[in-house]
Amino acid sequence: MTARLLAGQAPAAGAETLADHRARLGDLPGRAERSHLIKTLEAAGLLGRGGAGFPVARKWASVAGRAKGDAVVLANGAEGEPLSHKDRVLMTSRPHLVLDGLELAAEAVGARRAVLYVGSEHTGARDALEHALAERAATRSSTLPRVPITMANPPVSYVAGEESAAVHFVNAGDPRPTTVPPRPFEKGVGGKPTLVQNVESLAHAALIARYGDAWYREVGRATTPGTALVTVTGGKRPGVLEIDLGTTIGEVAQWAGVAAGDGSPVLLGGYFGGLVAGADAWNLPLDPAVLRASGTAFGAGVVAFMGDATCGVTTTARIMDYMAGSSAAQCGPCVFGLRAVADASARIATGQARGDDLTRLRGWSQSIAGRGACRLPDGTTGLLASSLRVYDADWSSHQHHRRCTVPRGVARATA
Amino acid sequence: MSGRRALDSGMRLEIDRIACDAYGTCAELLPEGIDLDEWGYPVMAPGNVPLHLLDHAKRAVDSCPVLAMRLVKAQAPALAPAPPPAPVLASRPDRTEGTPPWPPRPQSRAPKRSPEARRRR
Repeated sequence: MTARLLAGQAPAAGAETLADHRARLGDLPGRAERSHLIKTLEAAGLLGRGGAGFPVARKWASVAGRAKGDAVVLANGAEGEPLSHKDRVLMTSRPHLVLDGLELAAEAVGARRAVLYVGSEHTGARDALEHALAERAATRSSTLPRVPITMANPPVSYVAGEESAAVHFVNAGDPRPTTVPPRPFEKGVGGKPTLVQNVESLAHAALIARYGDAWYREVGRATTPGTALVTVTGGKRPGVLEIDLGTTIGEVAQWAGVAAGDGSPVLLGGYFGGLVAGADAWNLPLDPAVLRASGTAFGAGVVAFMGDATCGVTTTARIMDYMAGSSAAQCGPCVFGLRAVADASARIATGQARGDDLTRLRGWSQSIAGRGACRLPDGTTGLLASSLRVYDADWSSHQHHRRCTVPRGVARATA
Repeated sequence: MSGRRALDSGMRLEIDRIACDAYGTCAELLPEGIDLDEWGYPVMAPGNVPLHLLDHAKRAVDSCPVLAMRLVKAQAPALAPAPPPAPVLASRPDRTEGTPPWPPRPQSRAPKRSPEARRRR
């Protein structure tokens, strides 16, 4: 496990000051070197860390290609995924790294303004960033051109972190996704081409700008190099961890104090991800490409060990209810579909299943995806489908015998 | 008619999911390519609109009371192989794969849907 973003003082010690940040990492490279930053990011193979894993360089280039010096950069720290904490930890402990990345991005795409988009409930992160902005305003020695940075704080909501929702909130105070196209990189904040980039991606870019693409590729896997922040839950020592991409789930389990023989399923990626059976999970590398091929997702970097005392059906039903409640109530298949999924799951979980609930649930797990303006229905039904697969026997037992199969007899939900 | 290779119009139907209000007019006018789910919202057959249905698709677009649908040029016009004789919805495990199951236009009108499927929210 290589510490890069979290190198230096322990994250629990709070925000790194500007002086410490400069002393540890040095100044950013000069203008000439910075002018090939997009090329360097491409050579580094940095993928976005907000969940979709889109190549960062391609995103920057598409905004730079459209902007005429009037683009907008939005640092996405909404972190609405209930199981994820890594963006908060990063913003709270390394605010200057995030701001370096934001200013570098603004210069690279030709932006006239930048927005820090941080969930209103993440008060620690907001305070750290605001303090860091004040520090930078007081002592300015960087050669980066100054760009005005404003703060926008969306209310607690799962979909507020979706990029069109972020743009919508900054433009109109409404954190709900809009119909795309036009996508934010075409027409975003103030109608200008807008780069929406997760805060961890920006922090990685700030390190790559300093040390280069070869350095970035020194750790991780050839297909997906570098390190990543992951949030681990369910073990004895939950928390945020910086891993080399390709670290196996078994190694993460060891770090988190999860018993090796447990063998219970693992939820990867968060509420948008998927469940993997314990037997398949242990040797699975945390590599977005491999995870996608195995039917799950790296997503926002969540690794949640379910534990063998957890009723998978009850946990899934709770997640479905959360997701149905997270619908922005705009698209019919999401409004009605996710609610129907949540209600049927809850009936099955509580031993009140109706005759065809499980059959209908299986149908909905396939028929709702791809039919919303954003990907909430896709992510939710993807998780449902993986739960129906991994906890197949438990779903059947709940449906047909109205009985929980968890050995302890008491079903409890963890995630 | 079935088994004949359908000519591709190079156009694709796109729905604005936020604007769509489940009027169901589109499924009425283009039952070959649009079905309605149990809440009355459209489920589209994957792939491009076959040429022989393009006029019907245009009519469906024009008739939407909330103008939630449009015909757009497909980015990569795939050559549509002969559509399988499967019904539009019954066997579609993955919307992104497989051959577009647009069936030939029936001679008679599609049967009316059940009142439950037509129920508005």
